[in-house]
Amino acid sequence: MEVTLNVNGSAHPLRLDARVTLLDALRDHLGLTGAKKGCDQGACGACTVLLDGRRVVACLTLAAQCEEREVTTIEALSEEGTPHPVQAAFARHDAFQCGYCTPGQIMSAVALLAEGRAGSEEEIREFMSGNLCRCGAYPNIRKAIRDVAEEG
Amino acid sequence: MTAIIGAGIDRVDAALKVTGSANYPNDVAYPGLAHAALVRATVAAGRIRAIDTSAAEAAPGVLTVITHLTAPRLDRGPMTLLGPSPPAPIQDDRILHHGQHVAIVVADSPERARHAASLVRVEYETVKALLDLDDPRAEVTANPWNLDTDRGDVAAGFAAADVVVEGTYTTPDNTNNPLGLMSTVAIWHGDSLTVHDSTQWPHNVRTSLAKIFKVPESGIRVLAPYVGGGFGAGLRMWPHVILTVLAAREVGRPVKLVLTRPEMFTSVGHRPHSVMRFKLGATRDGRLMAIDADGVSPVAMEDDDYEPVSLCAATAYGCSHVRTRDRQVRLNIPCPGSMRAPAEGQGNFGLESAVDELAHALGMDPLELRLRNFAQADPESGLPWSSNALRECYRLGAERFGWSRRTPQPGSMREGRWLIGYGMAAVSYPAYQVPCQARASLHRDGSAFVRSAATDIGTGTYTVMTQLAAESLGLDVSRVRFDLGDSDMPYSPQAGGSGLTGALGNAVHLACRRLVGDVLDLVRDDANSPLRGMKLDDVTVDQGRVHRVGIPEQGEAYSDILARHGVEELSADGRSIPPRSEDLGMAVAGAFGAKFVEVRVDPDLGLLRVARVVSAIDGGRVLNEKTATSQIVGGTVGGISQAMFEDTATDRETGRIANATFGDYLIPVNADIPDIDVIFVGEPDPATPIGTKGVGEVGLVGLAAAIANAVHHATGRRIRTLPITIDQLML
Repeated sequence: MEVTLNVNGSAHPLRLDARVTLLDALRDHLGLTGAKKGCDQGACGACTVLLDGRRVVACLTLAAQCEEREVTTIEALSEEGTPHPVQAAFARHDAFQCGYCTPGQIMSAVALLAEGRAGSEEEIREFMSGNLCRCGAYPNIRKAIRDVAEEG
Repeated sequence: MTAIIGAGIDRVDAALKVTGSANYPNDVAYPGLAHAALVRATVAAGRIRAIDTSAAEAAPGVLTVITHLTAPRLDRGPMTLLGPSPPAPIQDDRILHHGQHVAIVVADSPERARHAASLVRVEYETVKALLDLDDPRAEVTANPWNLDTDRGDVAAGFAAADVVVEGTYTTPDNTNNPLGLMSTVAIWHGDSLTVHDSTQWPHNVRTSLAKIFKVPESGIRVLAPYVGGGFGAGLRMWPHVILTVLAAREVGRPVKLVLTRPEMFTSVGHRPHSVMRFKLGATRDGRLMAIDADGVSPVAMEDDDYEPVSLCAATAYGCSHVRTRDRQVRLNIPCPGSMRAPAEGQGNFGLESAVDELAHALGMDPLELRLRNFAQADPESGLPWSSNALRECYRLGAERFGWSRRTPQPGSMREGRWLIGYGMAAVSYPAYQVPCQARASLHRDGSAFVRSAATDIGTGTYTVMTQLAAESLGLDVSRVRFDLGDSDMPYSPQAGGSGLTGALGNAVHLACRRLVGDVLDLVRDDANSPLRGMKLDDVTVDQGRVHRVGIPEQGEAYSDILARHGVEELSADGRSIPPRSEDLGMAVAGAFGAKFVEVRVDPDLGLLRVARVVSAIDGGRVLNEKTATSQIVGGTVGGISQAMFEDTATDRETGRIANATFGDYLIPVNADIPDIDVIFVGEPDPATPIGTKGVGEVGLVGLAAAIANAVHHATGRRIRTLPITIDQLML
């Protein structure tokens, strides 16, 4: 199967097995390993990327579904070495430990802020609940997002 | 110099982790990489009658299918610090547990490997599996760790008690489930081997593979610079690692295996369930007169595991008459293994619930009861503690929490429809340390490179070791690079048992001190050096310089010394050995903690919410307040999870785990977790030069009991079975 994936502003024509997920296409075929595989069942959020600006779990999205759509991954967030404000806030607030869920958490947080859904602690708690963190960094994840939301 | 230690500096690996550039084992790619998938047993006990791999072998892209019929005979891995290695896989036709690996399939893509694995047909001859602790057919081992305790005269103690309470407490199987799917990438080059693995202990993987594959250790390199969490799941070298290495040798290509989430439930250990009985007797004024405890846990058919769940009763309180008994029962279950705070996590729930029951029976505040039974000295050895700030934990934790607002009567605190409960628990975590090595190098430009084959599973090892080396060498942290996760580096033990920071930290400290000594050796007879003839004790280090103690002018920069002597790099090794109580005349203390919890219970719906948590911790010297706090917060989340969510459900007929996905196996999400208040109290512990006590596990322990005790306070209902679920709370 042939598919062209538009990832982080570049077009990548690929020849893929029809079963290949967006996550495996990114990781195994494009070398973009920022999005992580935590369950491969759409339950943990570690593979969260943006598809046309909306959050999706890349493990439950087939690469074939992404033709002519814009995929944004963690690799595109920082610009020329300057971290995105959410990345900087995660570092400052120690909003991760092992770091494995972190790219997914950050992509969710970026979308949350863009959607205007980080207005309160309660909103952040609810809308970040699709991203599991087994190390238990949840309180610091909230602090980091709150910080960015308040900076405007 | 501004204090480097204690400062809550950001993690040195933060930039890599927030940009998705940290290289976890399953991020690794090689040209010609092949992909493996496992076939697992669908029965819990019996034999493979037939295994048909023809369809799998004929499927597109398949390179090999290895079963017990085609696998070479492999030795079992070695005896380790943590006991025997797990049994080698696919060595015969016997099935000992559901989910046991029976074949590995390798193909040129992960999709093809997975599909081919689904084509392997296995016929089993099934026998009735042993799945229950009380199955009369099961082999029971009494005192399996030789840690049963007999202190004083327990019968006399109970006879002298005015009040006796006794309860049976049960905890379920919990599965470690680090978020990182454990992965192995193996590459053979002739007789040498490179392995990327999700391990907490690279040297153990190297030693084990050398024995199993009969190749020299020097030819094996194990890499784990980043690991997606572990919580104990990466402590042992599990059979899937052996299968991947075997497959790579077979196909002559690099092979990658990424466990699936369901496979994570049966392949990399779990906290085994337990049934515990705690009986406490006290005088009317709350003096503990006797403790009698016993516990039983399962173990896999041909494996070993350390879970002395009753042992915590022997060391937690100053009590003269104590008896503990542990038993282990062999069942047809996946291998249990350490999960964050093994044994303590279960035992503390029983013990600290029983203490709460005793307080209630005495009509005494549970905090006061614990204070009255504070262990002034180590109850087992009688030696004074190297340090113990448990009473400060009680006092400061209670103050921060507002414990004095608690009204004693269950059900007496309310807010609208919610019943409010305050509960607490104490933790005395055992000290653990094993030998460790590190190497420190100073470069001509005055920067340093320090390394050891340790791992940072999220604990902050990279960061705190950078800080420690910077302090010991008198350098800014930006001038120090600390590296780990490579078995070619000096030996490090596992990241586990809350022991790595102490073991590695002391090795790093010693290496750096020796390095400064070596710098002084360079200038011993150097007429141009103001440090000529000085010894280590004569000098101090600061801002990249060595100078005479108290006289900053009399000194010079590392870079000047190395340049003048034409030395490009100077290196020194450090080896730490664990402190021994008998040498010190003090009982080497682990961390202590007091946990305070407020819960809210909706009596109509049975809803349980944790509203607040205060954890007061004596962790000795805190190297980095930010990462140490994260350890306690993360442990607390693990404790809430143990108390209210986690329950690996095994079907009692088939031995199959019925909820082996993240959709079905519950762990907390963001909305389940309140803000968590952490207070560090206590002082540097004098047992080792760096003064730390591990904080990786003390954060988890105590939460389950504190929550159950708070539930009792809110509702009057005593929950002795974890997890605490709605059905137990509908009033």
